[in-house]
Amino acid sequence: MTTTTTATTTTDSKTRSWLVLLLAGVFEVGYALSVGGSEGFTVLGWSVSAVVFFLLTLYALSVALKRIDVGIGYAVWAGIGAVGAALLGPVFFDESLTPARGLWLAVIIGGLVWLKLADSVKVGSRKAAAGAGAEPAVGAATTSSPR
Amino acid sequence: MSWVYLGIAVVFEVAVGLFASKAKGFTHAGWTVATLAGGAIATFFLSLALLTFDVGAGYAIWTSVAGVGIVIVGALFLGQRLDWKKSLGILIVIGGVVGLQLSGAA
Repeated sequence: MTTTTTATTTTDSKTRSWLVLLLAGVFEVGYALSVGGSEGFTVLGWSVSAVVFFLLTLYALSVALKRIDVGIGYAVWAGIGAVGAALLGPVFFDESLTPARGLWLAVIIGGLVWLKLADSVKVGSRKAAAGAGAEPAVGAATTSSPR
Repeated sequence: MSWVYLGIAVVFEVAVGLFASKAKGFTHAGWTVATLAGGAIATFFLSLALLTFDVGAGYAIWTSVAGVGIVIVGALFLGQRLDWKKSLGILIVIGGVVGLQLSGAA
C-alpha cells in the first residue's frame, strides 16, 4: 500500500519503545531489590543503588511512554518489575519461589507477550485482524520488522 | 490510617504514569520534576502503609488500583482509548501481579 514506508518507520520506533520499556522494567527490578536490601534506607550501598535505579527506571519509562499508551506501559513496567523481583529475590535474599508463584509468573509473562502483540497491530491491518484472528494478522503487520 | 496512606500512594502512582507521559523522555523540565517527586511520594506513602498492611496484600491493592486508574487517566487526559485486546492484556498482567503478591510472601 502507499503507507508502507510510514508504517515501517512507525513499527521500528514502536519496537524501540518496547525495548526501552523492557529496560525500564529491568531498572524497576533493580530498584525493588535495592529498596528491599536497604532495610528502610539504613544500609548506605543499597540506598545509593535504590536512588540510581529510581532515576533510571522513571527516565526509561518516560522515554517509552512517548510512543506507548500509558495504561499498557504501566502494566508492562509493573509486570516485569514483579516477575524480576520474584525471580531474583531468592538469589539475593532469603526467599523462595513456590510452584504457585511460578504459575502466576507464567500468567504475567503470557499477558506481557499478549500486550506486545496487541500493541503491534497496525491500523491498515485492522480488517485482516478482524477476519483472520489476532495471530496471523499480527504476523502480517510486522513481517518487515525484526522481533 | 494505613488505608489513607495506601490511597495517597495510589493517587501519586497514577500521577507518576500521567507525569512520565507528559515529561516525554525527561525533555520537559516541569513534568520531569513532577514525575520524580510523584514517584518519591508514592513510594514513601506505600512504605508507610506497608508498615501495618500485609505486604503482599497492600502491594497487590496498590498496583492493581493504580494500573486501572492509569488506564482511566490515560483515556481522560491523554485521549488514549484502548481496544478490548489491550484492555484484556492489561487485566491479565495486573491480575497476575495480584495473584503473585497474594500467593505468599516470597
